[in-house]
Amino acid sequence: MEYIGNGFLKAILLLLHGDAETFSAIYATLKVSFYSMTASLVLGIPSGFLLGYVNFMGKHQVRLVVDTLLSLPTVFIGLMMYAFLSNRGPLGHMGLLFTLPGIAIGQTILALPIVIALSATAVEAMDYKLRTTLISLGANRMQILLSSLWEIRHGIFAAGLTAYGRVMTEVGISMMVGGNIKWHTRTITTAIALETGKGMFATGIALGLVLLLIAFSVNIMVSFFKKKLV
Amino acid sequence: MDYPVYHIKNLHHDYGEETILSVDELTIHTNAITGLIGPNGSGKSTLLKLLSFVEKPKKGEIRFKGEPAVPFSAATRFKVSLLTQEPYLMKRSVYHNILYGLKIRNVAGDIDAKINEALNWVGLSGKDFFSRKWYELSGGETQRVALAARLVLKPEVLLMDEPTANVDTESSQLIRKAALKAREEWGTTLVIASHDREWLYDVSDHVLHLYQGKLIRSGLGNFFVGPFNSREDGLFEKKLPDGQHLILKKPIANLSSIAILPSELVKLDLMESALPGLASIKGIISKLLLEKPGRQILISVQIGDIQITSKLPLDTVKTNHLYPGRTVWVSFDPDKVIWG
Amino acid sequence: MNRNFFVRVLLICLLAAGFFSSAYSEPQTLMMATTTSTDNTGLLDYLAPLFTKDTGIDLKWTAVGTGKALELGKNCDVDVLLVHAPDAEKQYVAEGFGVNRREIMYNDFVIIGPSADPAAIKGKSVLETLKRVQKGAHPFVSRGDNSGTHKMEQSLWKLSGLNTPEKENFYIQTGQGMMATLTIAEEKKGYTLTDRGTYIKYEDKMGGNPQLKILVEGDDMLKNQYSVIEINPVNCPKTRSEQAKVFANWIAGEKAQKWIGDFKLLNKQLFIPNAK
Repeated sequence: MEYIGNGFLKAILLLLHGDAETFSAIYATLKVSFYSMTASLVLGIPSGFLLGYVNFMGKHQVRLVVDTLLSLPTVFIGLMMYAFLSNRGPLGHMGLLFTLPGIAIGQTILALPIVIALSATAVEAMDYKLRTTLISLGANRMQILLSSLWEIRHGIFAAGLTAYGRVMTEVGISMMVGGNIKWHTRTITTAIALETGKGMFATGIALGLVLLLIAFSVNIMVSFFKKKLV
Repeated sequence: MDYPVYHIKNLHHDYGEETILSVDELTIHTNAITGLIGPNGSGKSTLLKLLSFVEKPKKGEIRFKGEPAVPFSAATRFKVSLLTQEPYLMKRSVYHNILYGLKIRNVAGDIDAKINEALNWVGLSGKDFFSRKWYELSGGETQRVALAARLVLKPEVLLMDEPTANVDTESSQLIRKAALKAREEWGTTLVIASHDREWLYDVSDHVLHLYQGKLIRSGLGNFFVGPFNSREDGLFEKKLPDGQHLILKKPIANLSSIAILPSELVKLDLMESALPGLASIKGIISKLLLEKPGRQILISVQIGDIQITSKLPLDTVKTNHLYPGRTVWVSFDPDKVIWG
Repeated sequence: MNRNFFVRVLLICLLAAGFFSSAYSEPQTLMMATTTSTDNTGLLDYLAPLFTKDTGIDLKWTAVGTGKALELGKNCDVDVLLVHAPDAEKQYVAEGFGVNRREIMYNDFVIIGPSADPAAIKGKSVLETLKRVQKGAHPFVSRGDNSGTHKMEQSLWKLSGLNTPEKENFYIQTGQGMMATLTIAEEKKGYTLTDRGTYIKYEDKMGGNPQLKILVEGDDMLKNQYSVIEINPVNCPKTRSEQAKVFANWIAGEKAQKWIGDFKLLNKQLFIPNAK
């Protein structure tokens, strides 16, 4: 199994030589995950907060649906997205098939339930005494909302990181919706799938290591933010 | 016209089926210290939450300085503050925890100095504690920081729920001192719920007794919580932990109700009283306390693990040599016992 | 202070999102669906820049299974196809989904097996080979994944007048890619059908001394014809039919045909141009 050693070596070479194909895939991966994470956080955190905080009719059922969506297979999302975004599909006129924004929408569908469910859980785990404390310090409803969100920031961060992990590593959506088009929609994961299919295992491993390296850098940035947030 | 801080009428509150609190009428005056006494689950915390407008009562009305008030109303938001039992500190530094209320109020001036001053009141120094995280504090320190976060706001009313229950002796003393100082400095009205009867009897202008959600009595009293056993002669008795029997007349409500014995009615003698019709039990004097306004002495008598408080004039105490450590006979007229 | 910081970060993120999304514009492009073999061998990587240089059209392609490629065309998601399933293609055109089907090139399949060749098929015809394999119950490893290669194998069994031995013990279906299937064939000391491109890579990986050797090749039945099909603008009004025609003419033209013939994988020719 000389792939493993070769993979490491190759990963370093790809990065050091500034291999254009690899960097194009890195760029696509970062861009698309940036879109999908922004969308799923902007939509997911408030929804998760509401789901965890507010009591409304059918809350339990909504929660059940969200929790079920946690198990959405990426290939299935990819297939559904294709059906919708295909030129013959209901959203075909938007021209999103084989584009990064198209992949991002699919990844948002993947990440959204994670962000919602985990933020809702974080909200539910919130100490009931927080509300009492905030009111007794003079906070109004808006301030209670903001301060409560701030209070569970670590849980929200965890939700974001978990979602990011899935978004970064999914193949099904990128492959189906993006089409693995070189220089355009080829992400690191679809590139790995391609290289593996070609029997270029070492290159596949190298790309996998590159992905890990990116995840590592992102986590370093996040932990820097986290320190600022404490 | 000068209104009292609180005027409560026909207050009723519950969480679901069971009534938690039911108060027909209650007035709390400005600048007073009101003590709340009652066993666990008697509704003390609920009353404090309602008084601090954290929760809205299911029924009834709370007037704040003559005006009906509800949670978030402008008249009370910045004036009333509650220190909860086992207080909660936000996941921020000590500095930011204390800053929170000031920021909401847009307080100007030297904020750091204000925060430092509030910390000093509870015996902590800003230098050491400003940057401490919420998880870097002991139980007593947490309680004190939480109190400082309220004191810094100079509230008109400060409600405290068991402020000294779970803290070390030093913290307990500092918390008591700081609370009294608030009243002296800015005339803060204090409402304090505590198990520490002597302290409450000592500092309070009024003591309210709560039992099963009802205001039993204001003033000093001793509680005997059921269950009681009925005897063959038609009387009722409660077995005390040390083997003695407390004999009472038939309870009005039921065998598990509570008997209240006002402190003024408790007689203390060095020998068993021969007077007919008086119930008596033996105990040891544990503490003497000079009541502030009058020249009365509060005498605590320990009987097993329960405590009975009596209120006697200073002279009586002197002539009868009722000093701590002495064995005394506690007697009272069972007819005068109030049933709650 | 902390909250402001948080809000600021969020704001920057949103601005960046706006910036990214605005930077998306489309030059003149052509979208093609093709099969994995043209992509995996690197042929398209080699041809695409030449095409862009000649015509100014940016060629984008998605490499998928033949079935999916045809489906993408039906749904108007691509403008042109480069596929290798002659029967399906002819039907596709007949049904009105594609126009101007033109044969471009072919590569070929080979039957490989252990050098010991227990079934003694070396140099035999495909017909004879399959008969001998079945008769002797020699291990035969199949892709079993409905890929073009798998379909080719199934049609070979049919053309030989035999049933695909689906249920037989000697017939091993991997459900995996070609390279993985070769590895399994090697371990099972079995025969298998592979495209020449993958075999060349396998041979190279084994340092020029592979355990599995080419035993049957050159039979007409093993020819794998590639064609280009333009998507029918009647079916798909928005298709970039002009560019598709440019591409079809270009790849069938003299220059591109020569380049296809010159394309080498590990110093071996892979595709034989045969545009008429």
